[in-house]
Amino acid sequence: MFYIAIFFQYVAQYMKTRMQYRADLFVEIFSDLLFQAVNLIFILVVFGHTNLLGGWTRDEIIFIYGFFLVPYALFSSFFNIWNFNERYIVKGELDRILTRPIHSLFQIVLERMELESLFGAVTGIAVMIYAGNNLGLGFSWTDPFLFFLFVIGGMLVYGGIFVLIACISFWADARTSIMPMMYNIGNYGRYPVDIYNSVIRFVLTWVLPFAFVGVYPASYFLGKEEWFLYSFLTPVIGIVFFSISIVTWNSGVKRYRGAGN
Amino acid sequence: MTDAITVRNLKKEFKAYSSRSGLKGAFRDLLTRNYKIVPAVNNISFQVKQGEMVGYIGENGAGKSTTIKMLTGILTPTSGEVIVNGMNPHKDREKFVRTIGVVFGQRSQLWWDIAVQESFRLLKKVYKVTDEQYDSHMSHVIKTLDIEPLLDKPVRKLSLGQRMRCELAAALIHNPPLLFLDEPTIGLDVLVKLKIREFLKEINDKYNTTILLTTHDLSDIEALCERVVMLDEGKIIYDGALKSLKEKWGEGKEIEFQFLEDVTLNDLNRITASSEVKWEKDEKKAIFTAFAEDNDELISLLIAKVVADLKVKDIDIKETSTEEIIRNIYDRGIS
Repeated sequence: MFYIAIFFQYVAQYMKTRMQYRADLFVEIFSDLLFQAVNLIFILVVFGHTNLLGGWTRDEIIFIYGFFLVPYALFSSFFNIWNFNERYIVKGELDRILTRPIHSLFQIVLERMELESLFGAVTGIAVMIYAGNNLGLGFSWTDPFLFFLFVIGGMLVYGGIFVLIACISFWADARTSIMPMMYNIGNYGRYPVDIYNSVIRFVLTWVLPFAFVGVYPASYFLGKEEWFLYSFLTPVIGIVFFSISIVTWNSGVKRYRGAGN
Repeated sequence: MTDAITVRNLKKEFKAYSSRSGLKGAFRDLLTRNYKIVPAVNNISFQVKQGEMVGYIGENGAGKSTTIKMLTGILTPTSGEVIVNGMNPHKDREKFVRTIGVVFGQRSQLWWDIAVQESFRLLKKVYKVTDEQYDSHMSHVIKTLDIEPLLDKPVRKLSLGQRMRCELAAALIHNPPLLFLDEPTIGLDVLVKLKIREFLKEINDKYNTTILLTTHDLSDIEALCERVVMLDEGKIIYDGALKSLKEKWGEGKEIEFQFLEDVTLNDLNRITASSEVKWEKDEKKAIFTAFAEDNDELISLLIAKVVADLKVKDIDIKETSTEEIIRNIYDRGIS
């Protein structure tokens, strides 16, 4: 309860700060939208040459992309930890975090949130509605609930993986370039995994389960029954990965050595 | 009275990696890295009572910050026992930090972009401080530190002195019984320093707040602390009253003379030949300094002898300053 109250306190504070820099805010939202448009155009260009990609139609792939945008938007709003190493370890900002009575990871989430990324979710839903219309998808009353569940699951998968990568900083003092690489790998999850070879498929399902952010949960809404099992695994994988990352984080914090003073 | 801090055989070791030289060395470093275990804090024990103000001093790298970080729960000790406010800092971290206030002079606790009062408001929520508690306590803090006019300014627009006063206020929002100050007056001008010292004395009086202070500026410690803990290479080399440190290590007195006539060191040595005095001359200002034992009779005799023989312009009797004492201890060791 306390954490929820604190969360909204920080959100309010965040909005106040953001309102002061209006121009900045618009530029950021605009560049976000532009980035999504480029990705969408890429999909359209590919399907300008072919109608089917590994048995998936153009609209199905657009639908998956639309779905992917929603958990991804949540992830990038709340898990801005890509520069965790420089900001918190090298500069010693974690010292400050650790002298406050809130869980350290939660504080970093609160401090680094970027709520304007949530607009990505709006785009995502619009893309899904567009593609869903083209496909003539039906709509049942359970869909919104499952959608919510899958989106949260997808966000936790993403969050878990990136928290785990941030944790490397607790053990190795050198900077790593794994973060940007992981952002690239994350993008593979938004295409149907059966177009990749089996090794990549295995990796995207069980090792770096990015497929649970895009293709698996979206398959449920596309009515691809062969993937239903994976669709319903989405929240499970999300919780498992995120829990692992929290445990790792907590033991990492114990090893934190602080920056010299 | 209970102890605010109890430390027993506390130890913290760091692995220090060293790189080999040259390209060949760099390749070997890839495979196996050389490291040695360096103790930053080596088996220290001490206690601090509730309401005490303790100065924690030592040279750079003596282990001051490392100790503070273990006491505040930031670092996990390698071995030994730490009990602060009846808790184990790194085990019950989230519960524990509610009972302490921390100011790191070189690191801001406040949010850079938002107005000071917004930071305070947020911290008030974080520490679950009620409106009544906040109003009664903070209005006093704000008044004493004179930060009322700064409250609506963003932190990034404050000067260092203004920021430090706000930092101090922020650390006290939850009125903690124990306050850690890591170089709180670094880089501040004299007026701000005085204000901060006065304020610390006041809250110590009013709330019986325990204060542990590290600083390079010994005048802070002289003004505030009765007790000092001195650290060298991770070990405590002195723990006791500041006064007895002075008595024990203050090496006599210095008497500075300025003369109206031309005087040489030989003259002075001849005049005072019967007592044990060492003379030194400051070439630039023509000041002659006599170093003598801290013995009132000896000193008055010495002055009488000099004044009888020579025309004196100015005399100044000085006690060895704390700063000098401490420099002497570090130069020569405690033995």
